[in-house]
Amino acid sequence: MIGLCNRKHLSLALVSAALLAFQIALLQILATSQWHHFAYLVISIALLGFGAAGTLLALTRRWMTARQAQLLPLLLCCCAVTLAGSLTMTQSLFGGFDSFLLFVDIGEVLKLSAVALLLLLPFTCGALTIGLIFTLETERIGSYYFANMFGSGLGCLLGLAGLSLLLPQQLPPCFGFLALAAAALLLPGSRPATRVVLVLSLALVTIFLVQATELELSQYKDLRRALDLPGATLLANQPAAAGQIHIVDAPVLRGAEGVSLNWSGEMPQAPAVFINGDSIGSLPQTAGGDSPRNASTFALPYALGIPLRVLVLDAGTGVDVAMAIDRGAETVVAVEAHKPLVELLRTAAPTRVSQIFNNPRVTWQTLVSRTWLARDQQQYDLIILPKVGGFGGNAGLFALHEQPLLTREALQQAWSKLSPQGLLTVTSWVDYPVRTSLRLLATLVETLEEAGVTTPQDRIAAVRSWGTLTFCVKRTPYTKAELAAIRSFAKRWAFDPVLLPDLHPEERQRFNRLQDDSLFQLFDAVLGPERAQLYNNYAFRIKPVDDEQPFFSQFLRWSQVNALINLYGQRNLPFIELGMLVAVLAAGVLSLLATLLILLPLTRLPKGSGTHWQVLIYFGGLGVGYMWTELALIHRFVLYLGHPVYATALVVAVLLIGSATGSALTGRFRVCRPWRWTAATSSILLLYVVLLGMLLETTLPLAMPLRTALAVLVLAPAAVIMGMPFPLGLRLLNQAHRAEIPWAWGINSCLSVVGAALATLLAVEFGYSLLLLLAATAYLLPTTIRFRVS
Amino acid sequence: MLCLVLLLCHGAVASSEREEEREAMVKEQVLARGVKDPTTLAAMRTVPRHLFVPGSMSHQAYQDRPLPIGHGQTISQPFIVAFMTEIIKPGPGRKILEIGTGSGYQAAILAATGAQVYSIEIIPQLADSAAVLLKQLGFTHVETRSADGYYGWKEHAPFDAIIVTAAAEFIPPPLIEQLAESGLMVIPVGSPFFVQTLMLIQKRDGKTISTSLMPVRFVPFKRADEE
Repeated sequence: MIGLCNRKHLSLALVSAALLAFQIALLQILATSQWHHFAYLVISIALLGFGAAGTLLALTRRWMTARQAQLLPLLLCCCAVTLAGSLTMTQSLFGGFDSFLLFVDIGEVLKLSAVALLLLLPFTCGALTIGLIFTLETERIGSYYFANMFGSGLGCLLGLAGLSLLLPQQLPPCFGFLALAAAALLLPGSRPATRVVLVLSLALVTIFLVQATELELSQYKDLRRALDLPGATLLANQPAAAGQIHIVDAPVLRGAEGVSLNWSGEMPQAPAVFINGDSIGSLPQTAGGDSPRNASTFALPYALGIPLRVLVLDAGTGVDVAMAIDRGAETVVAVEAHKPLVELLRTAAPTRVSQIFNNPRVTWQTLVSRTWLARDQQQYDLIILPKVGGFGGNAGLFALHEQPLLTREALQQAWSKLSPQGLLTVTSWVDYPVRTSLRLLATLVETLEEAGVTTPQDRIAAVRSWGTLTFCVKRTPYTKAELAAIRSFAKRWAFDPVLLPDLHPEERQRFNRLQDDSLFQLFDAVLGPERAQLYNNYAFRIKPVDDEQPFFSQFLRWSQVNALINLYGQRNLPFIELGMLVAVLAAGVLSLLATLLILLPLTRLPKGSGTHWQVLIYFGGLGVGYMWTELALIHRFVLYLGHPVYATALVVAVLLIGSATGSALTGRFRVCRPWRWTAATSSILLLYVVLLGMLLETTLPLAMPLRTALAVLVLAPAAVIMGMPFPLGLRLLNQAHRAEIPWAWGINSCLSVVGAALATLLAVEFGYSLLLLLAATAYLLPTTIRFRVS
Repeated sequence: MLCLVLLLCHGAVASSEREEEREAMVKEQVLARGVKDPTTLAAMRTVPRHLFVPGSMSHQAYQDRPLPIGHGQTISQPFIVAFMTEIIKPGPGRKILEIGTGSGYQAAILAATGAQVYSIEIIPQLADSAAVLLKQLGFTHVETRSADGYYGWKEHAPFDAIIVTAAAEFIPPPLIEQLAESGLMVIPVGSPFFVQTLMLIQKRDGKTISTSLMPVRFVPFKRADEE
């Protein structure tokens, strides 16, 4: 028989695992049905639930501790049912909400609030259980904190495994069973009524599992719009941790982006591929000269000759791979990080597509393109970067989206892989006001200058159609014959050259006119001496981005917000730079909620012995520091390990399990100076700031198992030490200032919420190194007050 | 017969409803932004926009914003509707093809100028409701059908103008073929709630020329000496 103490540990680990796994499933559910921006919402709702639970516990501690034997299993049952039924309840009870309408319909804001409150329930119930156990077991907090962190670490892995095996909507009920198991472990000693509740909960969770509802997608989501088309059929719906894959076929779906107005051939029907509900393009269809893609600016590099060795980065559905094969390339290396997508298209796609994916001339590499660029030693005649931006602009939706292939460092790496006559090509949709193509040009020019090219204009060609603009950057200056070939290609398909070394201004608008010359003036300014001035004075940020701040699509300049409002009107502004504004709004709202739900109620508690400020700085520093460290390290290891999902899982799991180990070790320590461990954490983080980048760069060529092992070795010491200050601090309070424990818990949760909400904003504005430096500073704060037993 | 009389009465009543709001919309949102074509302005004053938006949003119908109409579609901002209408110069005797009927409001505006309108909508539910509403309001110059807009409407081609309100990432060759010589095609480009540019395609001597038009003028870059 397992003793009560062990059952409590196991129960704690199970509920922690359930909550974290649920959090991961929720991330994909909201990304698929609404926006990927709701990642913030999920993390913040979870943390808010923990904070609110801490506050509730602080206010009702005596009442709850007296009834703990009944309350613990009941709270876990409540957690299980609300967790399992979260999706059904949010979708059917309130009809869901539509994030795209948040800025036009106040009703949607109310629906979103209701959904957030419903999602808060499982986290609050679960956190109440955890908090109650912590409160009851302060003497052995180290081992309980271990169970909590270890369970969370396992939950992270479980969540990712679940996303790979099951559809995301099936996961919440599955994780509900974990919470029920946690409840069952605490049943002995409880009343018969509690057992009835458990049985009823089991029945409810089972019903939720059997009736796992279809995800209700926003009507503005690409996938929803495709499925709404007459005759639409779902060819594939495959779960994947890197993003759920859907392939939709419909008689009216065609793949012919940006095709010339002169194209008179067929635009063949083609199924479309979606990752987490967002379109990533059509499947390649026709072969040879019949493909309409040959009549788009994407075909510009082929006007200059047949490249023998081609590298396609972020190859996606394989349309650029198909074109390279059709145009005679001898070998094509295609890099795509979404491994399940590549496997699916290799094995289960229509014949034409699987022929491309299985073509002996094509080698598929399933890892992050940047990692491939850093590790690969080959040279290529043509390197194709993925298309940038969306048709008609993307309203700034990708402002917070990391685009590591569009940084200065990425283009420098690509440039170094070009053969002596090699070409680098990238296409963007033309947006207005001009932002994307302008920053792209600026990045290309700076890449050339960095490589020692004194006259970049001799090596950059660009042609523009009615909707797209393609750049071709050549390793050597263009020859007259090549310039003639570009002009001939442009004329045939009614495109206009925008940049050529010998360009006449009148050539720029023969077929596709613009209302004014601003695009050309801006391009000329980037290539001329006015570039620095343009960076400073333009209404949007267009200076090239680097690996520290790889947010290529973040164009918003805060100082220009008023000017943009005057120009477009307040209502339209959100649709120009939506992503950044949503993040700022979310950070503000969450900070307010954290204050209202966590801090304000705590002011009702009796004042302690003057240690309020010390507790605030100590536990607040820990809350913020942990979140910032986690997010900054995830960013660092994505490129190193080559797979975003794998990197996230590894970093989070090592941090949580390491912290669990650290907290378990604290049972052996005296608690009089816990701040020493925060100082140690801070020192390690400072070492990371200085050395980590160099270490990862040097060891990048190592094989994957070695890199994984090294990542664990590098992260583990920090993780272990980061797990110590919190339980030590609580034990210290337990000895000397017991009344301050709820305040400490609340402060920690509150600042974790605020920290998570602020993390991306800080990274966007100041970079990831600074975020890590700020995390080190946050851990340093407790040392300044020398929080200890007096 | 009784039904027809009632429908016509309804149309007449509807067009006089909320006239002040329509007048304010035209004055503040359309005229003030430079749309001056009298035919367009008259049509904007006549067509009861509030009947083309979902009932729950009727009170917002004359505001300076696009509104959702379901199925991932929107009814465009009044200014954009007026701007596009002015560009293609509709009027009696002109034959216009619209791809993407949506709510039917743009088709109604075009028809109100006296043009003969052919409108295609791919989502059957939207096509049906727009057809019923346009009929109810007495817009006899509008013919609608639910079909794939890619192929245009060959039986009625060539068209003096084509409006593609449901723009795709490509412009279908059949539409260019069905555009009359000297005809105009206009395509709004942007996110569902924010039109950033309008693409105007003109056909001259069998060749096409595209022009990007900006509904909102933007001064992109001031040199230091200009500040």
